[in-house]
Amino acid sequence: MAMTAIDRTRRMLSLVTYLRERPGARVDEVARAFGISSDELISDLNVLPMCGTSFRGGDLLDIDTDGEHIWWHNADAVGSGTGQPLRLAADEATALLVAARAVATLPGLRDGDRDALLRATAKLETAAGESAGASSRLSVTFEAEGGVFADVDRAITERRRLRIRYYSPGRDELTDREIDPIRLFAVGHTYVEAWCRRTEARRTFRLDRVARIELLDVPADPPPVEPRDLSEGLVQPAPSDPEVVIEVGPGGRWVAEYYPHDAADELPDGGLRVTLRTPDPATLRRLALRLGGDGRIVSPPELADSARDAARAALELYGEVA
Amino acid sequence: MAIAKAERLMNLALCLLGSGRPLSKRDLRTSIEAYLEVTSEDAFNRMFERDKDDLRELGMVIETVESVEGDIGYVARRDRNQLPPVTLDAEEAAALVLAARVWQQARLAGAASGALQKLRAAGMPLAEEEPEGYGALEPRVPAGEAAFEPLMIACRDRRPVTFAYRKSNAAKPESRQVEPWALECWRGHWYLAGFDRDRGAVRVFRLSRIVGRVKSRLGTFTAEVPGQVAVRESVARWAGEHATAQARIRLRVGAGYPLRARATEATPLNEEWDELEIPYGHGLGAWLAEFGPDVIVLEPAELRADVVDRLRAVAKG
Repeated sequence: MAMTAIDRTRRMLSLVTYLRERPGARVDEVARAFGISSDELISDLNVLPMCGTSFRGGDLLDIDTDGEHIWWHNADAVGSGTGQPLRLAADEATALLVAARAVATLPGLRDGDRDALLRATAKLETAAGESAGASSRLSVTFEAEGGVFADVDRAITERRRLRIRYYSPGRDELTDREIDPIRLFAVGHTYVEAWCRRTEARRTFRLDRVARIELLDVPADPPPVEPRDLSEGLVQPAPSDPEVVIEVGPGGRWVAEYYPHDAADELPDGGLRVTLRTPDPATLRRLALRLGGDGRIVSPPELADSARDAARAALELYGEVA
Repeated sequence: MAIAKAERLMNLALCLLGSGRPLSKRDLRTSIEAYLEVTSEDAFNRMFERDKDDLRELGMVIETVESVEGDIGYVARRDRNQLPPVTLDAEEAAALVLAARVWQQARLAGAASGALQKLRAAGMPLAEEEPEGYGALEPRVPAGEAAFEPLMIACRDRRPVTFAYRKSNAAKPESRQVEPWALECWRGHWYLAGFDRDRGAVRVFRLSRIVGRVKSRLGTFTAEVPGQVAVRESVARWAGEHATAQARIRLRVGAGYPLRARATEATPLNEEWDELEIPYGHGLGAWLAEFGPDVIVLEPAELRADVVDRLRAVAKG
C-alpha cells in the first residue's frame, strides 16, 4: 500500500511526541508500537534531523539512532509544540470509530472483547470531540449467523471436526459432509474456510447456507494449506475451468456485479456479453432461469438447452394446474 | 518526492506548533528551505495553500489572524491542536488495534493507523505480545469502488456531487446531482444515501453502478439532512427482505431448502409436492423462476403471471 505524504507526516509528528517521553527507546519496540517495520522507522529517523522550526543549525531536531536505540539530544530546545499528540482528524476518528462499532456487532465476538471495545469507543468519542461527528456518515454491517458461528468458532479453537448439512444453490441440494475448519472470515457474509473430507479439497462455506451443524469428538486434521489471499476476491476460478458466455440486456447487467468474470463487453443495446469460467457450468442454469427475458446463455450449448428444457417443463406444470 | 513533501509538511507543522505567535508567510518562507527554493511567488503561494490543507487533513487547526498593521499571520493554537487526555487500558488498546484491521481501503487504513499512532504517543499501552484476533474470525470490509473515496470526503464535508449512474435496468448511465448524506456497507457492497436534486427526493445508490468520476460541486446542501439516515432499510426492502404479502406455492419434495427455511407454513400434499406459504416481497418472482419445474406458484395471480412470463422468455430461448 503506497504511503502518502500526509500519512507519513502524521506518523512522524506522533513519533516525535512519543520519543520525547522515552529517551533511549528501543528501535524494535517503537516500530511495534507504531505498527511499522524497523526499516520504516529508520527511514523516518533519517528524515527527522532535517526537520525543525528553521533550517538553520540548532533549530533542527537532533535525533539519531545506532540501529538499536534512539536518542534525541535537544528535546528541550526544539519541537516544543510537540509535547502532546495532535487531536484526531475527522478521517482518523471515522476510521477507528466505524471499525470499532462494526466489529462490536459481530455475534461471534467474546463478551470480554466486546466490552473492551465498547469502553474504548466511548473514550474515543469523547477524545475526538467534534471530529467524531462525521463518523455517523459511514457505517458497516457484518452479517454473521449466530448459532452456526459459535459452533464453528469453538471447533477451530478446540481443533475439532464438524459435520454439516450444506446447501449448494447451484444444484439446489443439501449435502452432508465432514469438514476440518481452518478459519472464519467476514466479507459481507461470514464464511468458514475448511478442508472438506468428502471431496478431500479446500472449500469455502457460507454460514447462512449451513442447514445443520454438529461438533464431532474427532480431532480436526486439515493438511497444511496456505490461507487463501482474500484480496483477490472470494471466487477464484482456475484457468482450466470451462468457459461460459452469457448475453444480457440492460436489465441483466447486474450479472457482471455478482459474478467474477474474465470479460464484460458492451453490446449496442446497452447490454453486456459476459465471459466467465466456472468449475461446474450446470450450476448456472439457475442464473439463466432467473434472467428470464433479460439474458440468455450463448455457450456452452448444453447449458442453454438445459435452461430451455427446465423452463418448458415448468410451463407444462402450469398447464396442468390451471 | 513523497519524502521531500513529508519533510516540508513536517517543517511547516513544527513551525506553526512551536511558535507562540502568529507567523506570516514571509516568516515561514525564510524558515523553511523548501519554500525558499521555490523562486516564483505564485508557485510558493499555491504550494503553501496546498500544504495548509494537507495539515488540516491530519487534524491540525490552523487559524488566520490579522495584526493591527494589517499583516496576515497563521497560528496553530496549542489548546485547539492537542489531543485531550485519553487513558486506554491494555484490553481496550488491543481491541482497537484489532478493529482497525478491518479496513482494506487505503485511505481509511491509513487514517486508522494514524489515529492509533497518535494514541500511542498519548501513552496507549502496548501489549507484551501481538493480539491474536477474535478467536477465529477475521472481519474485513472490502476496499470498495473508485467512487468510494470522493464520496466519503463529500459526505464528511457535506459537499454536493455529480456522477453518472447506471440504474440496474437502464441501458445508459444518467447524470445525477446528489447531496450525499451517508455511506453504508451491507453484505459486502457499498451504498450511498442522499438527496437527489433532480428528483427532489431521497435516493439510495449502489457504488458499483457509478460510472466514471465523482465530481464535487460548489455550494451547500439545499435539503435538510435527517438525524438518522436509513441506508440499509431501503436496500433491504429492494432485496425483498421486507415482505408485504404472502404467497402460496407448491414445491417439489426435497427441493428448495432456502424456500422451506423461509416458509411460514409447509404442508405435505402428496409424494411429489409440498405446499408452502412464504412471505412475498420484492424480487420473489425472479427467485422462484430459478427453481424451474420444482416450483409452481399458486397465488397471488400477479406473482404467478410474473414467473410464467420469465419461464416463457427462457423457453423461447
